[in-house]
Amino acid sequence: MKIPEFSTIELGFDEGIGLLGLNSPPSNTMTMEFFKEFASVLDFIRDQKEFRALIISGRGRHYSSGADVPVLLKDILKRTPTDAGGLSEGVPDFLSNNYKSLMMLESLSIPVISAIRGVCLGSALELALFSHFRLCGEEAVFGLPEASFNLIPGLGGIYKLCSISGQATALERVLKGSTFTAEDALKYRIVDKIVPKKALMPAALAFARELMPDFRPGKRSLYIKKYLS
Amino acid sequence: MYENERPLDRMETINKISWEIRNDIGIITLDNPPENYLFQPEFVAIDTLKKWTSYDYLKGIMICGAGKHFSGGGKLENLFRMISEQVNVGEKIAQGKAVLEHLENLDIPVVAAIQGICFGGGLEVALACHIRVCSENALFAFPEINQGVLPGLGGTTRCYQKAGFAKSVKLIMSGDMINAEDAREMQLVDFIVSKQKVFDFSFNFLQRLTKDRPLPVINAVMKALKNARTMSGEEAMKEETRLFCELALAEAKRRNLTQL
Repeated sequence: MKIPEFSTIELGFDEGIGLLGLNSPPSNTMTMEFFKEFASVLDFIRDQKEFRALIISGRGRHYSSGADVPVLLKDILKRTPTDAGGLSEGVPDFLSNNYKSLMMLESLSIPVISAIRGVCLGSALELALFSHFRLCGEEAVFGLPEASFNLIPGLGGIYKLCSISGQATALERVLKGSTFTAEDALKYRIVDKIVPKKALMPAALAFARELMPDFRPGKRSLYIKKYLS
Repeated sequence: MYENERPLDRMETINKISWEIRNDIGIITLDNPPENYLFQPEFVAIDTLKKWTSYDYLKGIMICGAGKHFSGGGKLENLFRMISEQVNVGEKIAQGKAVLEHLENLDIPVVAAIQGICFGGGLEVALACHIRVCSENALFAFPEINQGVLPGLGGTTRCYQKAGFAKSVKLIMSGDMINAEDAREMQLVDFIVSKQKVFDFSFNFLQRLTKDRPLPVINAVMKALKNARTMSGEEAMKEETRLFCELALAEAKRRNLTQL
């Protein structure tokens, strides 16, 4: 198996476990290029029998701070289809592809674990929410700050947060837009376990090895009880 | 009409339900103390509710009870009497359900501020709200079973969506009361605060959530949450991206970003 190379993602492989590193440190900004490569990575992984688990993490000190809002706004303005009168309408393809990638991530038949250190904001938190499991290091920082830019999470993050944490939490976190702690994230069921920062990758690898032999998405809460408590 | 003119009917009481607007939050009070029993399934007429909630500067709604309790629910004797008098009760229940659906589908947040008893129809009203705050001494129950009926305003469905099958069956089939902690455990309640603080907490919470947010953002969040409740995952996500895109275009224009 030859693993392809990407510029915004570092894809590694270790004894059955795929290691997907968001690779634009320090903040691992999720650009249009990143999402394009992310879709290719998913296509590749889906077709590889050797990949039996996937761990997503950020290179450097942070998971990711999400999208670069001014750049994203310009891209949307440029790529939104216009009607005959020149008014913008509809959704540009690149945005639709992004939420479809998150759906595809979630539908992978192998366990997907996000290992979160440092900041995990905006689209990055949406990416994490569509992973099957989320472990985080102590002092990790979470947030959906979109509303403070007059936006909302747009990749299905509201939908997903609502189903994970309930309507009231989703409403509060999205409208407030402020950051919250790892402890809050645990309380909201956004993360499944907090571990010491240095123990994060070892914990994610050990968890992936436990899940690999017989992973069933429907047994999520059972796995958390069995391996993470 | 002058721009700053506020509607004259900012405060009114119809059939023991009161309405007022404080800042940009509308307050509905179940105003039939002490137990705030609801007279009929459509505790407020749908047209009245629509009129109240249609002011376009409102950013949130709080529902509370007058005095020490939220609501003891409907008086079932009234319902049985209506049936004996050949009133079309099915129609009234359908209207009651439409009222709760209207509340639940509003595109501004609705908070229930619950203290004391919250039974039957009162609990059904609370469950249709987006956020439930209650006092430490609040009590919850579906007592309908004791009179051989069940919650008829969508309470069974909403309870099941929040608490799951087993716990809902127990609550509805037993008719037993549960306290605030149990209700939170069942995810029927989101916040528990001390008895004196229920109204202030709920009101301030709503204000804090909404005060720095323009209405289009609040509306988009509420629509996305409604979609999460009512659509398949794929449809809800597609719609969320569309809502995001609308706001993004407006924001790009507001920032005067030119196309590259």
